[in-house]
Amino acid sequence: MRRRLNRGAFAAPLLLVAAQSADAHIVASRLGDFYAGALHPLTDLQDIVLWTALGLLAGSLGAARGRGLVLVLPLGLLLGFNVGLSFGSTWIAPLTNAGMMVLLGVLLAAGLRINAAALLAIGLVLALMRGVVNAGGVGTATDRVLFGAGLALSGYAFITLITALALTFRGSDTAPSRAWRRIAIRACGSWIAAIGLMVGGFALAS
Amino acid sequence: MTARNAPATRHPRLPRSTVLLAFLAIAETAFAHEQQGVPGGLASGFLHPLTGLDHLAAMVAVGLWGAQLGAPAIWILPITFPLVMAVGGVLGVLGIPLPIPEAVIALSALVLGGAVAARLRLPFAAAAAVVGVFAIFHGHAHGAELPKSANPLAYGVGFVVATGLLHLCGISIGTLSRSPAGGRLIQGLGASIAVLGCYFLVRNLAALP
Repeated sequence: MRRRLNRGAFAAPLLLVAAQSADAHIVASRLGDFYAGALHPLTDLQDIVLWTALGLLAGSLGAARGRGLVLVLPLGLLLGFNVGLSFGSTWIAPLTNAGMMVLLGVLLAAGLRINAAALLAIGLVLALMRGVVNAGGVGTATDRVLFGAGLALSGYAFITLITALALTFRGSDTAPSRAWRRIAIRACGSWIAAIGLMVGGFALAS
Repeated sequence: MTARNAPATRHPRLPRSTVLLAFLAIAETAFAHEQQGVPGGLASGFLHPLTGLDHLAAMVAVGLWGAQLGAPAIWILPITFPLVMAVGGVLGVLGIPLPIPEAVIALSALVLGGAVAARLRLPFAAAAAVVGVFAIFHGHAHGAELPKSANPLAYGVGFVVATGLLHLCGISIGTLSRSPAGGRLIQGLGASIAVLGCYFLVRNLAALP
């Protein structure tokens, strides 16, 4: 017993001497650029509205048609991010974002069942656009690889979650008691299109 | 003689209730958070349809009437109304004027409230046309405020969501019309909205030059 106490009394000061600062937040270890990339689109309402609209559309079309977006969106974001780094990010006009909101919103509100290829094409264009815009958040000291990885992962997580939520909420096509849920998703589309129309009007006016 | 027993000097004291009332009377709004950026835009957009009583009453009346009319109005209404309203919003953003917008908004509360009170069953196309015309005027009033807001996109999100929730509120209350007593209650609500609309209409017309 006494031997154990002696060992403890010897080891405790040694451990205290060897103590180092705990990097609970790995921002200090340069991984902060990863989080900056992941959070950058989530602090911009345009990304949130557009990604939500795309996720709702994918979910409303069913798992088979929407599944491809889980890969296309993050890859498109990465591609657009690289384009933005090379050619600048200011050439995407605000009217383009508004137009995309109207397109996605009208597709949702009308309940049009577009095929998987069309959905992926729309998703790719949207991802390229937003990737370019998000490249504007890269500073001179930012680690571009980490920022881009964070952006792509954020897009992956967001689109997967929203699509899965929309799929679960919508339920199966054969359940008549759930008809109101599909109407609710279409009403969300109408809201998104309305927002796009007004923002487009503002872009034209300014 | 101890200090406790010494005769205390008496000062005239105001009753606490008087002091409290005085403080309440001079109270002012505390702006802890200035309305800036995305939160400011969201807040101003969300509150805009809720703070105008004529807007609020008319939006609830749209939901009530939709619920009274039943399918397809009850489900087409929440989908198409925001889109038509946004067209009016764009006109407002672009500064294209509409004739006597405030009076028409008041008229919308009168007409829609009257339709609910009378359980008016118009053909769907006619009902949609009536609601659509009023939607453009409501959207115009909101859209005209958009360029002045802290964040136009956030304002748009806030105002569209608030309007949609008001419709939902109207539709939810309107489901009471399935029972006879609930139906009378809804008609009473419609009549109240019509009276309110009438008041705002008279006030607006009186203010016209």
